[in-house]
Amino acid sequence: MKAIVSVREAVKNYILGNVVVPALRGVTLDVVEGDFLAIAGPSGSGKTTLLNLIGCVDTPTSGTVEVAGKDTRQLSERELTDLRLHTIGFIFQSFNLVSVLTVFQNIELPLLLQRKLNGPERAQRVAALLERVGLREYGAHRPSELSGGQRQRVAIARALVTRPQLVLADEPTANLDSVTGAHILDLMRELNRTEKTTFIFSTHDQSVMAHANAVVRLADGKLVDRVTPAQAAAETGLPA
Amino acid sequence: MSSSKLFVDLTIAFRNLVQHRRRTLFLGAAIAAVTALLVLLNGLSTGVRETMIDTATTLSTGHVNVGGFYKVTAGQAAPVVTNYKKVLAVVQKTVPEMAFAVHRGRGWAKLVSDTGSLQAGITGIDIRSEPKFSSVLQLESGKLEDLAQPGTILLFDNQAEKLGVKVGDALTISAPTTRGTNNTIDVRIVAIAHSLGLLSTWNCFIPIESLRALYQINQDATGVIQIMLNRKDFDHIPAIAARLRQALDQAGYRIMEPDPRAFWMKFQSVSREDWTGQKLDVTNWEDEISFMTWTLKALEGISYVLIVILVAIIIIGIMNTMWIAIRERTREIGTLRAIGMHRREVLWMFLLESLMLGLLATIVGVLMGAAVAAGLNAAHVPVPTGLQFFLMSPHLHLAVHGSLMVRAIVIITFVTGAAAFYPSLKAARLRPVVAMSHFG
Ligand SMILES: Nc1ncnc2c1ncn2[C@@H]1O[C@H](COP(=O)(O)OP(=O)(O)OP(=O)(O)O)[C@@H](O)[C@H]1O
Ligand SMILES: [Mg+2]
Repeated sequence: MKAIVSVREAVKNYILGNVVVPALRGVTLDVVEGDFLAIAGPSGSGKTTLLNLIGCVDTPTSGTVEVAGKDTRQLSERELTDLRLHTIGFIFQSFNLVSVLTVFQNIELPLLLQRKLNGPERAQRVAALLERVGLREYGAHRPSELSGGQRQRVAIARALVTRPQLVLADEPTANLDSVTGAHILDLMRELNRTEKTTFIFSTHDQSVMAHANAVVRLADGKLVDRVTPAQAAAETGLPA
Repeated sequence: MSSSKLFVDLTIAFRNLVQHRRRTLFLGAAIAAVTALLVLLNGLSTGVRETMIDTATTLSTGHVNVGGFYKVTAGQAAPVVTNYKKVLAVVQKTVPEMAFAVHRGRGWAKLVSDTGSLQAGITGIDIRSEPKFSSVLQLESGKLEDLAQPGTILLFDNQAEKLGVKVGDALTISAPTTRGTNNTIDVRIVAIAHSLGLLSTWNCFIPIESLRALYQINQDATGVIQIMLNRKDFDHIPAIAARLRQALDQAGYRIMEPDPRAFWMKFQSVSREDWTGQKLDVTNWEDEISFMTWTLKALEGISYVLIVILVAIIIIGIMNTMWIAIRERTREIGTLRAIGMHRREVLWMFLLESLMLGLLATIVGVLMGAAVAAGLNAAHVPVPTGLQFFLMSPHLHLAVHGSLMVRAIVIITFVTGAAAFYPSLKAARLRPVVAMSHFG
């Protein structure tokens, strides 16, 4: 299968004043199309940093990150934005919906930014996704009127509305209770199967990892190994 | 239920304004207040300017004038245009667009009553050929038509008071003639008008034949030809004056160099010049009342300074509010950037919010300003006597034209956008990673 993400020896250093904070110390990782991959690791291990690099919101200090065949270090700010707009969907830990827009408008927003579909086409697509995430009745509501789980479902719909090749989710269930979190993971998993969308999500929750095809484990900015969820669950001695 | 990009932009802008209701109302009220003040101050100076033009062009000047001096000897200048009908013919041919032209005699004399005396400019007019006169003057007593009879005079109330006279009383006018001797005539007061400020303290009107008799000048001589224009030609006054100078020069007249002063301020310099005979002087209304337009300039200057200060305050207010809004919305901006919003779209989003606030607030402000102006005009607010002198009107008059309202809206909205530009640019340059931060 084709690799949609290819990370080679990626190093990311943050500069804090005159201190260099190494967040990633040479990570190499391939993600193939249709994957449903979990990135696990303790707090500060570099999960968010790695997702930022893959999500083209940041570029590596050294090494390369290729997304959909494009080397992100070769792209301009504008090209990176276009790559995010057309290829990647984002699900955030704190949902990050636009509070002043309705649920419908939030989901429609990426389509408006793309300027590819006309009004009726957009409406149809948004309505279908609302149905899909179980929020058919909630199009006219504001995010503040929804529960956390409902908001994250809106966020999922927003991430999928452009039919991206890749969806990234940084700890999508961290702000949800475990039952709601499990529902969200089930929904993502289902969309992964039916839409063939590649998902990469980070977590440090064992039960969340259980949904993944594979678990990539990070520790201290390095990739430790790539295991099955079962293995990850069995080896509780490892940092998790 | 689907929506266009612009509609969503407008929705985001509008709802953000509504969301932060108190902040929006506060800033919007400030912008509206400044706009209203701009409209009022501008309406006041425009009103004063219009009153000034209106009054001055009736009492003491045309929009464009052909006056001049006649010198018997080099040292003796009289404000006289000889053979004026020929000059008038050139004027009529050269300025076909004029509304009408009148000619008036000019002089400076002593008015003597039984109980007092005063120095004043006297203007000789033919009241039957002065169509605008009655619309500007408000008579206290007497009749304007009686000024058609020879040996009569129209005074202003302040002059009548000083002289201790009323309609029907007699006055003696005493003036030096061009020959250097003093001459006097007796006149009967036929009308007393309400004072019109500065110009009316220095002016009174007698029939032109009486003026000619006083100064012992010919029937074919006058003081000045005053050309009245239609409002649409007010902007072309300098061009018309230049055209007249050229035409009169070609007709063989000697023309004085342009000099933006009232005719009575030119006596000294003209008397010093080494020539005799006739020279014509083409001036405009601003020249003839230059000694008093400083009041208008001062008023405009004060308004200008005030507006600049107020605008500076709203600029600071807007920028401050923008910084707060951007700090609050850092995560939202990062999110939008992450999901594919371009920098210029973020810039536009914030600019739009400010422009929307600016537009709404300025429209409200302009309407408020216009309403207050209309109220003040309708209330006939009396101008304090001291100020009447300069404003040349007993009542406050604010002229708020549509063009002023549109200009105020455009300018202040533009200022709002300009003030928001730098903060918006900063917002647009926020990095999308901030969306992922757990804080804020
Ligand atoms: N903007 C930043 N400036 C400086 N250091 C940073 C920054 N972001 C992350 N780091 C550091 O980089 C390292 C990796 O951080 P990262 O956020 O990627 O970890 P994480 O695995 O996502 O942690 P968590 O589970 O807490 O989200 C940490 O040591 C962190 O302190
Ligand atoms: Mg993280």
